[in-house]
Amino acid sequence: MDWRRPVLSRSLLLIMVCVALVPLGVAASFGYFQFRSLVNQEEMNHLRWHGERALHSLEMYLDSLRHGVVETSAGYTVAELSDQERLARILSRLKEEHRSFVDLSLVDPEGIQIAYAGPYRLAGKDYSASPWFNKTLVRKVHLSEVFMGFRNVPHFVIAASKGTAQGTWVVRASVDAETLDHYLKTISSDLLDDIFLVSDDGVLQSSSRYYGRASSGFALPSLPGKRGTDVARVMRGGEAVLRSTSHVQGTPWILVLERGESRLWSAFRTQLLAVSLVTALAVGLLVVGMAKPLANRIREAEEARESLIKESEHTGKLASIGRLAAGVAHEINNPLAVIKEKAGLMKDLVDLSQEMPHREKFARELGDLEAAVGRARVITHRLLGFARRMDVRLQQVQVNDVIREVVGFLDREAMFRGIRIEQALDAGLPPIESDTGQLQQIFLNIVNNAIDAVDRGGLIQIASRRADHSVRIDVRDDGHGIPAEIRQKIFEPFFTTKKGTERHGAGLGLSITYGLVKKLGGEISVSGAEAGSGTVFTVTFPLPPGEAGSGQSG
Amino acid sequence: MGKVRVLIVDDEVDFAAALAERLQLRGFDAQAASGADEAVERIRAGFAPQVILLDLKMPGIDGLATLTLLKQEAPPFEAILITGHGSAGAAVEGMQRGLFDYLVKPVDIGELVEKIRSAAASGGRAGRA
Repeated sequence: MDWRRPVLSRSLLLIMVCVALVPLGVAASFGYFQFRSLVNQEEMNHLRWHGERALHSLEMYLDSLRHGVVETSAGYTVAELSDQERLARILSRLKEEHRSFVDLSLVDPEGIQIAYAGPYRLAGKDYSASPWFNKTLVRKVHLSEVFMGFRNVPHFVIAASKGTAQGTWVVRASVDAETLDHYLKTISSDLLDDIFLVSDDGVLQSSSRYYGRASSGFALPSLPGKRGTDVARVMRGGEAVLRSTSHVQGTPWILVLERGESRLWSAFRTQLLAVSLVTALAVGLLVVGMAKPLANRIREAEEARESLIKESEHTGKLASIGRLAAGVAHEINNPLAVIKEKAGLMKDLVDLSQEMPHREKFARELGDLEAAVGRARVITHRLLGFARRMDVRLQQVQVNDVIREVVGFLDREAMFRGIRIEQALDAGLPPIESDTGQLQQIFLNIVNNAIDAVDRGGLIQIASRRADHSVRIDVRDDGHGIPAEIRQKIFEPFFTTKKGTERHGAGLGLSITYGLVKKLGGEISVSGAEAGSGTVFTVTFPLPPGEAGSGQSG
Repeated sequence: MGKVRVLIVDDEVDFAAALAERLQLRGFDAQAASGADEAVERIRAGFAPQVILLDLKMPGIDGLATLTLLKQEAPPFEAILITGHGSAGAAVEGMQRGLFDYLVKPVDIGELVEKIRSAAASGGRAGRA
């Protein structure tokens, strides 16, 4: 049994940990994922809102620039725009409204820049091969991608065509990419990690915090739809970030906003982790603290159950031993009777004959033979008595009568051994519901036990009286007494102290008595002062319900 | 007054014979029979027991049945039942059927002699009843 102890303790520990921590884990994970999806959704919506706002603002800004160029183109004649000084004045007026513009120029239908106002020396440049020039001729108004151009500075061009009788002229203004950067910064927010523009064909149009300066390459994994703002979770150098992308209307640009993991989320994750860990630790400590006592309890319960099973097995064995013993005793009684009669006859004959060799010795030997038969008879009678533990047949029984009968039965033996048996029986004792035969057996065993316990000249006192709701019988002897450590064991089967004596038994007497008393609903206990000063066996039987309430108590 | 006539009916022949002999030594006219049939034979042969000792447990016709049987065959007698341990119930039943007394095996010869004498003294009351 002991080898199971650590296993039990360990598996119990495991089960308890699982029982405690699995729901915790499930709840925490559920909370984690639920909250993450919530936060994610919230952040995506938030970023989308930001993206749309930034897009709207950028489009307004670009529209106003575009509008400035278109108005200039429509508001002045080719002659006015061709005049260098006039053009410089027009630029300064334009710059009052739109500080972003760097320069202003007029390109003739052949693509030659015939007038230029601005910080660079670009008059006379041929743009006939430039993509923006051709696109402007087709679309009438065009906003170009950021490029280096003749000035070798990143910029973009806003151009508007101007149809005349001589052909289609183009009014062109440029804006530095740096201005665009600056503008994007102003519409950014603290929540955003990055805001930048990228062209359809994967060139950064403004500088990005994470992806490099304008004009460097940056390919989006997927292009957004023509309208609206797309939000997706992407990886940025091992970190998951949210990115919104939207086409800027009327431009070849895509506006990109990025934001990292929110502080709300990371704070929640830290808290969840901390709470989970603390709880797990507490549960762990609790479980470790509880598992051992619990394992002990279980083990005790199991041991109790096993001993109960053993006890009932033992009772079963006793019953079958009893039946066997009764059969054997019955069979042996007949030859015993024959032996006794033959021996008796021989003794008679010896007594009658006057002259006979060894007459005295024969008489003595035959006496011994008869005594031995007597002993065998006692044994068979006991075995038969043992076997008579049958079903309880309840009837009204006067305990005093039973005691008197038993004492009457044992009187001769007590007298023979010089033992006095005193009876102090309460005459007013109410009858109990019990089984006479089994009561006889009980008192026979107890008094017999007392007879064995006292020496020659000893005294056995039997007293009956009424206790609260029961009848109480004390059998007191002044014999050897029972040491305290043995007192616990005397009702166990096969426990005996009567070794080597003539009357020593199988060690079944008191265990049978105990079983009988229990079967009749009574209690038996043994008490006594120190070893050597006698023993008291106390038996109580409950009174029937009608009797229990009335009468004197104590 | 002559010897008291005693018939012992017991299937344990050795027991019955030894007991009969012991009773003879004590001045009884005792005979043994191994069962109801032999008991009837002896009575028909002219033996008229005053006291009959009956073993309770016998193969075939048991002690109490033998008692009933012999009551029809024999002149008035008294019967003493000899039982094994723990057969008090049968003894009580026997007493109601007119037994004089009963003894538990193995019997004490002194006790038995006393019971036979008192049975003989009561003089076949059972038979007349």
